[in-house]
Amino acid sequence: MNDRPFFVGYLPIPGPLRLFLGAIAILLIAGFGAAGYVAGVTQDDPGSGAFRFDYGRQTVTGVVELVPYPIVHVVEGNDRIDPGDTFMMTAGGKSGVDIRAEPLSGQLAQVSGIVLERGDLYMIQLRGGTNGLQAADGAFPQPESEPLGRWRLAGEICDGKCLAGAMRPGRGLAHKACANLCLLGDVPPIFVSTQPVIGDEFLLVTGPDATRLPKRAYDFVGQYVQVEGEITRHGSLLVFALDPETLELTP
Amino acid sequence: MTLPEFLLLLLRIWGSIGTVVVLIFLAWGIDRIDEDAQGAYVFRLLLVPGILLIWPLVLWRWWQIETERVAWFDRYRPSRRHGPAILAMSAAIVALVVIGLNARQYWPKDIVPVQLSERQ
Repeated sequence: MNDRPFFVGYLPIPGPLRLFLGAIAILLIAGFGAAGYVAGVTQDDPGSGAFRFDYGRQTVTGVVELVPYPIVHVVEGNDRIDPGDTFMMTAGGKSGVDIRAEPLSGQLAQVSGIVLERGDLYMIQLRGGTNGLQAADGAFPQPESEPLGRWRLAGEICDGKCLAGAMRPGRGLAHKACANLCLLGDVPPIFVSTQPVIGDEFLLVTGPDATRLPKRAYDFVGQYVQVEGEITRHGSLLVFALDPETLELTP
Repeated sequence: MTLPEFLLLLLRIWGSIGTVVVLIFLAWGIDRIDEDAQGAYVFRLLLVPGILLIWPLVLWRWWQIETERVAWFDRYRPSRRHGPAILAMSAAIVALVVIGLNARQYWPKDIVPVQLSERQ
């Protein structure tokens, strides 16, 4: 006959096991609580970005420009989007709107969709097909660009959609794979600067000479980098054409 | 070879050996060590993912049963001398968290934008 105490769930706890059970229970509760606290305090703030379904569907008219990512210079706005604003566009999921926008380059178009907003940054997720983007009639000014010289910036390359609010967190190393999938799907990339550049914290980022983001930059997405490049103002949007050879991680 | 390529290579090697074990064990071995499996085939497909994952354990148990080296009950009990491994893995988890927190980048908020040349 074995005299060792034996725990049975529906019977009173044997005396010698009470101390052991109490200690394990306290350690587990305290341990998981401490682990949760440590995990929580070491995470970065996901920011305020979000889909603004509360704004309702937004429809404006503007001039489409390819830089090479498609942007819209608003000509006829509404109560939330002012004339003169410049914004980027995305489709549903991890897709851009290049195929729909390319035939309308330099033309007036009606844009309709849901706003994603994070501070001063916003973009529109278009409705499907021509409901989201279609040619419009009317007079319009040709968009102008203003070169602002060569800069060295520190910050992070992100995909614009997740950063603007489609994901939380929409940036950082934990979001790297998602960001690269979005960028491969032609979602516009954004450079988040450590400090405002001529008043803007968020810049549309491209490759040199109005090319798409170079493949080398994909390895640095979601990490903190320093990089040089040319900045050009397109409407109210700054476009940063980075030089991929100067990309380096910050310490 | 980068670390991800090395990890993928290890995965491919593990999976390749597992595939060979799956084919041999399910086509031939299982009939030798489990008479209840003789003549039953459809259920064997359900075993494929598990064998791919833990093929060393499958081989070990097959060998134990086939050779009848130990008493019947012990053939089904893997070696349990893994106390040091438990301690090492527990310490490794804590070490990985600490190393990871120390190796992570922090937002370089003090680096200011610098204009290198005037507008052209």
